[in-house]
Amino acid sequence: MRRFLLPWAALLAAGCGEVAGKDDRAQIYLQRFFGECGAQYGGATDVSKVEGECGIVTAMINKFNANNPDVHVSSNVVAWPGYPQLSAQMAARDPPDLVTMHTGMISDYAAEGLLEPVEPYLAEAGIGPSALTAASRGAVTIGDRLYGLPFDTHGGLFHINTRLFAEAGLMKDGEPVLPTSPEQMMAHARQFTARTGKPYLIQSLVGDNAYAARNLYTYLLAQDAVLFPGPRRIRLQTPEAERIVDFFRAITASGTSTRNQDTPAAIASFMSGEGGIYPTGTWMIGQFEAEANTPGRPLFRSYTVYPYPRLWGAQVSYVSGHAWVVPRRERTAEQRRAIGRFFRFIAEHNFDWARTGHLPAFRAVVESPAFKALPHRSNIAPVASTGRPLPGGVQRQNAIEGLVGEEVAAAFNGQKPTRQALADAERRVNELLAGLD
Amino acid sequence: MAAEADRGRWSPLTLLAILLAAFVMLAPLIWTLLLSLKANEALIGNSGAALSPPWTLENYRSILQGNQVFRWLINSLIVSGGTTLGVLVLCSLAGYGFSRLDFPFRRTLFIFVLLGLAIPEQAVILPQHQLFAELRLHNSYPGLILPGLAGPFGVFFMTQYMRAIPRDLDEAAMLDGASRLKLFWKVLLPLTLPAQATLGVFTFLGTWNAYWWPLISATRSDMYTLTVGLAAAQMNYAQTSGLGFLMAQAVFASIPIFIVYILFQKQIVRAMAGTAVR
Repeated sequence: MRRFLLPWAALLAAGCGEVAGKDDRAQIYLQRFFGECGAQYGGATDVSKVEGECGIVTAMINKFNANNPDVHVSSNVVAWPGYPQLSAQMAARDPPDLVTMHTGMISDYAAEGLLEPVEPYLAEAGIGPSALTAASRGAVTIGDRLYGLPFDTHGGLFHINTRLFAEAGLMKDGEPVLPTSPEQMMAHARQFTARTGKPYLIQSLVGDNAYAARNLYTYLLAQDAVLFPGPRRIRLQTPEAERIVDFFRAITASGTSTRNQDTPAAIASFMSGEGGIYPTGTWMIGQFEAEANTPGRPLFRSYTVYPYPRLWGAQVSYVSGHAWVVPRRERTAEQRRAIGRFFRFIAEHNFDWARTGHLPAFRAVVESPAFKALPHRSNIAPVASTGRPLPGGVQRQNAIEGLVGEEVAAAFNGQKPTRQALADAERRVNELLAGLD
Repeated sequence: MAAEADRGRWSPLTLLAILLAAFVMLAPLIWTLLLSLKANEALIGNSGAALSPPWTLENYRSILQGNQVFRWLINSLIVSGGTTLGVLVLCSLAGYGFSRLDFPFRRTLFIFVLLGLAIPEQAVILPQHQLFAELRLHNSYPGLILPGLAGPFGVFFMTQYMRAIPRDLDEAAMLDGASRLKLFWKVLLPLTLPAQATLGVFTFLGTWNAYWWPLISATRSDMYTLTVGLAAAQMNYAQTSGLGFLMAQAVFASIPIFIVYILFQKQIVRAMAGTAVR
């Protein structure tokens, strides 16, 4: 028995100690999502030669370490989205130094005093807030403080199959004709389906709460509706919201849209050339563009992408983004300087990150010829200025999106009357917000 | 004799029903395996492509090339093995105590242990996390193993099993001069081996598949278990653009479990049939 137990005891003892580096470099512990691709890009330092979110962020960190011998950034890749782990680390008072965070999550942590405002780090990096785009700056601002270095802006776009649009007679001068009113969109949808036999709109309405919420938020913001009269109250029982939900409900009922599809099914439909428009995020551009460049694929030379068209009010898109945040903890002056230097590096490589499909967080990059030369980027660049996040002071944005999206998707699908869905969404969100400490 | 043979023979209808049920059970597993053998790109537009060749081992190669996958595998083995061993030792001793020893508040204490069955893990996760943080046990093997050792089911299971062993054996051993420890070690413990095997298999499987506690306790990638590590390795929208890889991960993570099932098939079937406790 003793012989059996001893090896286990030795292994347990070996596991007791935390792994810690013992060198003179400033140690920065970075935690991120975007997946792990060390096998493919573990040694890559030429950021321009790698592709995809995981590859680019991995190569960027490798390059930073290579260029800064007095700093060592060690990366920890967490299961997406990583917030249970981060919360646990904060509860254990051992958070990382730098963390990737969706901008909609910042308010939850900032409200608890768990994040440091980043102005000192931006100053160290020589980055002025005016260098950021309006959309990206707004997404990390709470009150008058900045709580993160924006990495990008992302939001919904209309991904379009131009071959089917041409078949439907909806192309003009090589560009798709997008609607400028709900009535026109319905007319386009009917024309498209009549001529192609395929759905005009591919909707992921099953298990994808973000889709329905994104549509509602975008067109509410476009109508200048006050979605949150206060940080702890949402208002959805409005004529503006009813208008939007009724329209998407009508288009779903008209037979010009897909039904009962989840996200993978919707993506597969679009890639298989089974629909005209798939409203989804910036993050799919790379994947769809790759299909468009592959001979034999249904999307070959048949793809373009635009911001959500203006259907009501002004040209506005609801946006979110990724940011680098700095959890509050004790740090040495060297570590603080190293974080500032890392911010500077991230800013300098914002163009590389924009190759993922996300919009740059820096105005200079959005306006640069290099960015506009990337496929379709000149089409979507306006989102950097027309994009609007939810108010920074609103907490639980992720949960709110889930509740709103669930109810609104039920209305889009015809499973719930519009007014009931909006009333239920409003009630559920307000109950959630009322329960905050 | 003939009647017995007839009872053992299935009618065509029964056989058909069994085959149908087996197919329903196996179909998702076969589907997962086929998807794992297909290039991601081939599955993006149409997952039905998994049904036709060419198939490839590329996804498995990608897993094995992952920087830390073997570290996560070893972590899972250590944590699952350590937890299983600890549960067997503690539950056997507790079972012996509750079934054989008279001590004050024995029944009350036993009921108190059983109450643990009614408390879900999530209900105690915050104080448990706080406690382990205070003890600086996060990101360590003890941090991953110790919570699993509190096993009220195991205590109940071993107690019931030992209660069913006749006390005459104890008396005979005592008459021969055996101490309490010797009685436990030499007489009772060997008789509980079927129960030990059952409890061990279920503990190992449960610990291997655990996700929630390892996710929040092992926050450094070198301490991830396989379930957490493979989840971390996934990129966003893996279900769309990396379906083959995702399925290969599922198959890879289940291989050790599959081996355990094969090795302990008899015990698992007995446990499922409720015959492990006499």
